[in-house]
Parts: sequence; structure tokens; C-alpha cells
Amino acid sequence: MLKIGVQTQNAIHDEDPGRDFARLRRAGFDCADFSLHGYLVNKEIYRDELNSFFSQSVSELEAFFAPHKAGAKKAGVTIHQMHMPYPIYVPKGSRRLNDYLWNEVAPKSMRICAFMECKYIVVHGFKLARFLGSEDAEWVETERFLESIAPLAKEYGVTICIENLYDAIAGHLVEGPCCDVRKCAERIDRINDKYKAEVLGFCFDTGHANVIGLDSEAFITRLGHRLKVLHIHDNDGVRDLHQIPFTFTRTRENTSSTDWEGFIRGLQAIHFDGVLNFETGPSLNAFPVSLHEDVLRLIAKIGGHFAKRIAEA
Amino acid sequence: MEILCSTSGIVSSQFPGQGLKDIAQAGFSGIPLAPLGHAYTKDAVEDWYAWKRRQRKAKTKTWYRGWFMDHPKTLEDALRPFTERCNALGLKMPLAVGPDLGSPSGRDEEMEDLRAPVTRLVEECIRIAASSGCRSILVPPLVVGIGGEDIWSANRAYYLRLAECARQHGMTLLLGSQCKVISGHIMRGFCMDAAEAADYIDELNQAVGEERFGFCMNVGLCNLCGQNLFDFVQTIGARLKAVILSENDGCCAASLLPFTAAEQGQSRLDWLNLIRGLRSVRFDGTLIIDFGDTAASFSPILRPELLRLAKATAEYIRWQVEMEALLEKYPSRVLFGAGNMCRAYMKCYGEQYPPLFTCDNNSVRWGEEFCGLTVQSPDRLRDLPPETAVFICNVYYREIEEQLRGMGLSNPIEYFNDEYMPSFHFDRLEEQEERDAENRRTDTKRDS
Repeated sequence: MLKIGVQTQNAIHDEDPGRDFARLRRAGFDCADFSLHGYLVNKEIYRDELNSFFSQSVSELEAFFAPHKAGAKKAGVTIHQMHMPYPIYVPKGSRRLNDYLWNEVAPKSMRICAFMECKYIVVHGFKLARFLGSEDAEWVETERFLESIAPLAKEYGVTICIENLYDAIAGHLVEGPCCDVRKCAERIDRINDKYKAEVLGFCFDTGHANVIGLDSEAFITRLGHRLKVLHIHDNDGVRDLHQIPFTFTRTRENTSSTDWEGFIRGLQAIHFDGVLNFETGPSLNAFPVSLHEDVLRLIAKIGGHFAKRIAEA
Repeated sequence: MEILCSTSGIVSSQFPGQGLKDIAQAGFSGIPLAPLGHAYTKDAVEDWYAWKRRQRKAKTKTWYRGWFMDHPKTLEDALRPFTERCNALGLKMPLAVGPDLGSPSGRDEEMEDLRAPVTRLVEECIRIAASSGCRSILVPPLVVGIGGEDIWSANRAYYLRLAECARQHGMTLLLGSQCKVISGHIMRGFCMDAAEAADYIDELNQAVGEERFGFCMNVGLCNLCGQNLFDFVQTIGARLKAVILSENDGCCAASLLPFTAAEQGQSRLDWLNLIRGLRSVRFDGTLIIDFGDTAASFSPILRPELLRLAKATAEYIRWQVEMEALLEKYPSRVLFGAGNMCRAYMKCYGEQYPPLFTCDNNSVRWGEEFCGLTVQSPDRLRDLPPETAVFICNVYYREIEEQLRGMGLSNPIEYFNDEYMPSFHFDRLEEQEERDAENRRTDTKRDS
């Protein structure tokens, strides 16, 4: 059976990570998706209001995360994947900002990933198509960034995962970077060939796929073995809400409006053997704190349901 | 590039006269022959099934909505009042929209095999379309009622059968996209993956040994599925023969007038990437403006005004798509304006279509070098060779055009516009200056 994981955002707190990892374990999770991006949040990056977290030395950062690593280990939770802060490049940002993101935040994130003994780190591709004219031109810049951290990935035995993202046109979410599966497959293979190592893989985000009406089954099937990690979450097909699967409907029949069956068929088709990871940290905000453990338990149970269904193939 | 106005929301099928007249008076020269589509709709198919069931019991002969599926030969007579009216008004019908079952839901999968009656009906539609002056017909795929067979295998056979009829009548068959609906949520369906659609078209054309198939892109459907419109158009490329221009908010399936599904002062449809794409493939096919829901929501009293706006909107989109062709049309050109728009011109087109110089009314700037061009006094325009076009690169188009006409210039005067450029500078000039200043401050700090 596939292992079940969950995002640490809202679930693991710096004050007592050991206690929180134990709670995740009790709820039924084997793995965690460490929310490194929570230490330098995107809204602040866009506003050029950087905090000093990543200005710390590598040894200081490792000391900071040592309790998290120990707590997870003690609880029996594997830190399977993590999320690098994003964006790593702000199109209209100052050179100072972008230099800091690229040369400080990114390499230190890689180092933290290795320190946490985490195998996968998810990064966001650059959103530059509006300026540069095409997704291809945009990818050239993303690839330049990936090339800057790929040697570290090889050295640390970490796989960088690009993720299907959206962009917004007056609030309407549309395809963003890494939504063309053919191109992604070619790019991943080419870069891995170059490094003779699996430095690049893919993170499939079910919520991002849903808001742009993507055919999950076709996408996953074509992606095949390049699919390394998952961001499983649900939404209304309009906004990126990061909620619990099966919670949205659009008709009075009240059946789920997200194509979970297609998602399952896709994972069955490629014999997915990774972790069923839920990026549902924000969903906890909707519930009273006293129910958080129950919510986590429900998410883990949904993971168990997916695992069972996938195993039926 | 020809522009057609969809009759949806404007022309009543029972009394088409007024709607068609409004379309003609707004300046449109053509419409798609769309009423063919009414012969086979979801309602018609359901009625047809019901009729079949009833027929087993009572042998009565009454009209029912699925009538044309059993009696395709009667379709031409039913359409005659419409086509005759179009001919009388001089409205051309170069493209037909074939029958479409619409977006299927789960229930439709239980339908029986529809291929035989639908094929007969669509063949008749091809014949009628050809005799009405159409050169192409949009034939949506069969995505339901194909007996559980692989969707492409079933459609491949269906399209190849239709190809023979299309060849006999000199018609091009256009494939189109289909959404699928999962509990009310619209998702990408058949032919919504542009690479796959392109492969299908190539396979069909190869099978028939000629270019009998092309593609009709429905911009509204692409928007509902958040597709990258630039990539979509680029991938379909020369196979793209027609584009249905229709707007929606990206959530609800509606046909709105372009630029009207706006939020935060901006349309929720990615016109930038659509126009970029169409411009990059030098699209020269058919544009069909479809704003059926907008039109239907307006009082018939206001509709003539709305149609005039729709005509101007479609012309504007055509002008944007043809921008590069317009630059290419003239052997030489000069610009008027030395600001952001001139800078955008030089970034994207300066190398391929180099201007002789630019000019500006601000005498302080005369003699200045800007983006590789010398800024001249407008008086220099009097010395231009007659075939040199003046491209106004300033949003005060009409005022500047009046100034130039007032100078007695006989050169062609054109508008240039940078709203939908192939690429953009990250900053406008004033922002760039600010950012440069900050970078200089950072450098100074670092050096000290």
C-alpha cells in the first residue's frame, strides 16, 4: 500500500515540532511535506519585505531545524518532500531581491533539504511568459535557475520537482508554467541525461490541475515515471483553495466535481509507488483547533482510500 | 481574414428577418450557416429516443425534435426561408456549423449507437452547406453514443466517411474541441489537447491524401479550461482555419461580447496570448464573433447598437492580429512618438521593420537618440517619399492624425499599438528609471 503524507503548514509548529509530528503519526500519516516556504512567504517576497530567516548561516539553519528533524524521526514520520520558498524570481523586483532569492534562499533550501534527509524539493517555475512572449522563453529562465541548483541536487541526492502551476488573468486562473506534459517530460529527461542523475522530477498538483480543467489521467499517464511527488488537494474549480478532497460539488446530485477517478486511473496506469501527499494545510484554518486532529485523521483516511483504490489495479 | 457574426442570440429561427437585417446593417458581410446545428442537439436526440420508444406502440406520424435524424432530406426545405433571406440581404455564409450534441454528462454514455443516423444527417448538412455557398463546415466529434469504443477510433472512421461526401462537394471539414462535464465542472475533453488535435488532423489528411481537414478553435471553450491560448494556436498552426471569438468569465459557459467579462479593469480572457498566437502564425482564416448571451440579454431595441459595437470589436481584433502584416505592407516607415510605445515597437519589430526615424511634438527631444532612432521634428515628415507610412505610436491617435492631415501629408497614416505585443519590457520607462536608480544605490552600498 502507498504511504500517506501531509503538508506541515498549520500542522507542525516551531515551538514543539516533536509533539506535532507525533500528532501527525497518530492521525495516520507516514510522511510529511515540509513547508519550508512558510519561513519566507510569497506575499512578502512580492512586496520586497524579506525577513532575515535565510540570512542565517547554514549551520544556524541546521540548528534551527534540528528539533524538527529529530521530532519527525522520533514520531516515525519521514520527511519525504519539501517546498522551496517561491517565487525565486520576481519579474519587476530589484536586483538585490532577486540576487538574494537566487543565491541565498535557493541553495540554502537545498542544503536544508539534505539536512532533513528529504529526497524531494518542489520548486516553482518562473512566471515570465507575459513579458518574454511564450512559455518556451519562460522555461529558458527557469532552466537557468534549475541549472544553478542541479549540481547541489546531484551532490545531496535530492530530486528537484517542478510543479504544474497556474497564472491569473483578472482573477481567472489559467495555465501557468509546467502545464504542458509533453514539454515537461522532454525537459526532465534532457536535464537528467545531462547530469546523469535524477536531479529533476515532477510534482503533480491536483488542485492546480482542477482549476484549469486539466485531464489528470492523461497528464499523469504521459508523465509516467517522472512523477515523483504529489500535492493532493481540492477546490471549486475556480480558486486554488487547498481543501480536503471530495468536499466540492457543483450540482444538486452533490457528487464531487473534481475528477478523482481520473487521478486514480492515472496513478494506477503508471504504477505510482511514491507517497500520497496532501497539500491541505490551509484547510485546517476552516476548522476549530479542537477539531484539527480529527481533520488530519480524515485526510489520512482519504489517503488510505486512494491507496486502496490504486492498489486495485 | 473574413469576419462573420454568429446569429446566436440575435436571429430567431422562426422569424429570422429582423435579426439578419440588423446583422447586415451593422456592416457584417457574412454569418456562419448555424441553423444546421439545430437539427441535432441534445434535446433533439432525447426526443428522438422518446419517439423511438413511443413508435413501437403507436404508429402516429407527428413532428418531433429529433425529426431530422429520421428525415434528413427535409432539412433543406426547413432552412430555405433562412438562406433565402440571407441571400436577399447579401449576407454570405462561407462556413457552416454542423450539429453538436454539446457537452456530455454521465447519463449520455448510456445512449445507443448514434453513428448511423448522425452520419446520414451530417452528410446532408455538408450537401446543404455546399449548396448555400459554404466552403467549410465545423463537425464536432461524436463523444457520446459511440458504444463504448475508443473515442478516436470511432471518430476517425466517422470523419473519414464524411470526408468522401465533403470531397464531392468541395468542402473542408473542421474539427472542434469538446469539453466534458464532471458533476457540473467543465474539464478538457476531446480535441482540447492541441497537440493531439493536430495529430488527428494530420492523420485524417494523410488518410484521404489531401488537405480536407482543418481546425476551428473555440476561444470560449479554451478559456473555460484555462488553456494557454498562445501555445494552443502555435501548436495547431496552419491547420487553424476558423476561430470563434467568444468571451466568458472562465467559470460559466456563456457567449459574451469580447472584453465584457471584466474584473479588476481587465477581461478574464487572455486576449494577449490569443492575439500573440494568431499574429505569430499569420492567421488568415475566418473569425466568427459569437456573443449570443450578451445579445439575448439586450433588448431588441438596443441590439442594432450592440451589433455595431460587435462589428467594431471584431475589426479591432482583426487589426491587432494583422499588425505585423500591416508593418510589412509598406516599403518604409517612420514612427510618431518617442515614448513607451515607440520603445515597444523597437523591441519587437525594430529589427525586422526598421523605421527611418521617429518624431515628437516636444522640441526639447529633437535630435535625441531614442532606442536607436533619432527623434525628429514632425516637419521632417514633409520630406518623406510618398510610399513611406507614418505609424502613430502614441495613444492620442486621433489628435495626432488630425495634426498630420492638417500638415497636408499625403503619406499613408497608420496606428501602431502595443497592447498585444509578442513580448514586453519588464517595466515601463518611468519604472525602469526607478529600478535602475535602486540598483545603482545597491551597487554603491556594496562597493563602499
